[in-house]
Amino acid sequence: MEPLIEIRNLDISFRQGSGLVKCADGVSFSVWPGEILCLVGESGCGKSITALSILGLLGRQGHVTGGEILYGGRNLLALSQRELDAIRGREISMIFQDIMYSLNPVFTISSQLTEVIRRHLRCDRKQAEARALQLLGRTGLEPAAAVMRRYPHQLSGGMRQRAMIAMALACGPRLLIADEPTTALDVTIQLQIMQLLRALRDETGMAILLITHDLGLVAEMADRVVVMYAGQCVETGDACRLLTAPAHPYTRALLQAVPGTDAARDRRLLSIPGAVPEHYHDMTGCRFAARCPHSDVCGGNAHLFEPEPGRSVRCCEAVAGVIAP
Amino acid sequence: MTSASPVLEVRHLSKTFWEKDGLLRRAGNRAVQDVGFTIAAGETFGIVGESGCGKSTVARLVMGLEKPDAGEVLFHGQRIDGLPERRLRPLRPRFQMVFQDSGSSLNGRKRVRDILAGPMIWHGVVPRGGAQARIDELLDMVGLPRGAQARYPHEFSGGQRQRICIARALSLNPELIILDEPVSALDVSVQAQILNLLRDLQARLGVSYLFIGHGLGAVRYISHRIAVMYRGRIVETAASEELFAHPAHPYTRALLDAVPSTDWNRRGRARIVLRGEAYGSGWDDGCAFRGRCPCADAACARAACELSPIDGDGHLSRCARAGDGPERS
Repeated sequence: MEPLIEIRNLDISFRQGSGLVKCADGVSFSVWPGEILCLVGESGCGKSITALSILGLLGRQGHVTGGEILYGGRNLLALSQRELDAIRGREISMIFQDIMYSLNPVFTISSQLTEVIRRHLRCDRKQAEARALQLLGRTGLEPAAAVMRRYPHQLSGGMRQRAMIAMALACGPRLLIADEPTTALDVTIQLQIMQLLRALRDETGMAILLITHDLGLVAEMADRVVVMYAGQCVETGDACRLLTAPAHPYTRALLQAVPGTDAARDRRLLSIPGAVPEHYHDMTGCRFAARCPHSDVCGGNAHLFEPEPGRSVRCCEAVAGVIAP
Repeated sequence: MTSASPVLEVRHLSKTFWEKDGLLRRAGNRAVQDVGFTIAAGETFGIVGESGCGKSTVARLVMGLEKPDAGEVLFHGQRIDGLPERRLRPLRPRFQMVFQDSGSSLNGRKRVRDILAGPMIWHGVVPRGGAQARIDELLDMVGLPRGAQARYPHEFSGGQRQRICIARALSLNPELIILDEPVSALDVSVQAQILNLLRDLQARLGVSYLFIGHGLGAVRYISHRIAVMYRGRIVETAASEELFAHPAHPYTRALLDAVPSTDWNRRGRARIVLRGEAYGSGWDDGCAFRGRCPCADAACARAACELSPIDGDGHLSRCARAGDGPERS
């Protein structure tokens, strides 16, 4: 089997003042057909810009300065806007965290949804409306006919995200990129949306690239996981292996820092000292070293290692077994 | 007052916000209805709930930033709601607040030194120009380098700014600190630092906390007792361990089920999935949760249940009909 999309050594830089600042450094991972891949990390780790670069949505300030994104044998980064438009929204679509600003406030749900369908599937208005009704029903927006006539501000946050999902699914994409889709929503609504996404994946066989900072969501949704820290992938692997036997010190620390609802209250939370380095762009060696309890043994060596098939870790000590599992 | 009396007691607190809805009509939002609780010395009381449940309004009512429509707020047995500012001011140092957004709650044009010294000089805790030793002590307490005092708020990360806010709240030796979502805007690694800091400070200083949050894990980690709010009312309250081990109200059960767990072995577990979202104005007499409740029947529309005891240990729930609770799927 071929990966659906393959990101190879991606470098992304942003213009800051007169210089360029590298925010993603050598990011590599693949998304396989039908899988849910979680891209997880704290704010500023580069997970969202990596996703935006897939669809060419970096804007004027952002530039891909190296690497390639292979989709169906083509490098998405080398396509013209026109060629990209045929893929965006049709084969690869995206939903965002910011449900307030992702829908156009002056158009009804119906007109925004049918526009996508007519644009990509070249059908008439009647067919598009029938398809839109069907999509709204499938995403749980009932009664669909009434929701079609509504404007975004007349819907609650959860309903808006469902409308976004309906729009993203309109043309039967092979990959759905979901950038923190439930961060702005309440946890009971989050559960509804996550169950919907999983059911849609099971039905349609599309792959989902789920970007999140919540390790709980990762543990519940992911087939595979990519952990990012300060612009680099630090650990990649099968979700079960990565969560039950995390290898990178950052992954381990992050898992221990989550206050659970089932753990004993008297167990002290492990916190990671310090904060994510703000100016990691020109750092050499291991970017986690300043916060890592094992940095005295490794000397800051941070190449990628493959301890087992399908697993990669940016830490030599984890691989050498110096850090006891 | 004896030393056993609670630091804070809140009784039957209610607040309705009115909004213009059309030309003449006004729409009311019953943000807080009949909320009551007590906080003992050295105790953390947590209020948890989803957005719009009224938890932040409770914090603002306790602080006197909003005036309640009904009910009482007693600080060491003395009523503080409705006190004129002149009479409230001498009490202010004794209860302080920390907000979610540390960026906007610190004056960006002042150095940390002046941010910390301001309230102490204003309330006469230290003489003008004599705050230096206390500032050093406060920075040590919250784990910031002493050199931080010469810098401005924007030079710090979110977690460090929250430490400054905590230092400012501590500067007046308060007996109660109201923490409104203090860790919600922080990354998980930094969130753990702040939660541990708050626990250490409480162990050392004996200060009480009213901790408002929506992250159940964080609220559980810090609180001795917890109240769950839904649509303006407390639906369940119990000791922290008890609430998480034996949730009684259908909403609490669904809320606990909805929290994602990092434990791989709990993946795919059966859970209650609530339908719909919170809606309606909450003006009728029925239970506000009935529209989403898997256990609701016709009686729930006629009258809401009172908050009543589940057992002898102060575990109260506002549902008499749930029984063994909803089916998980």
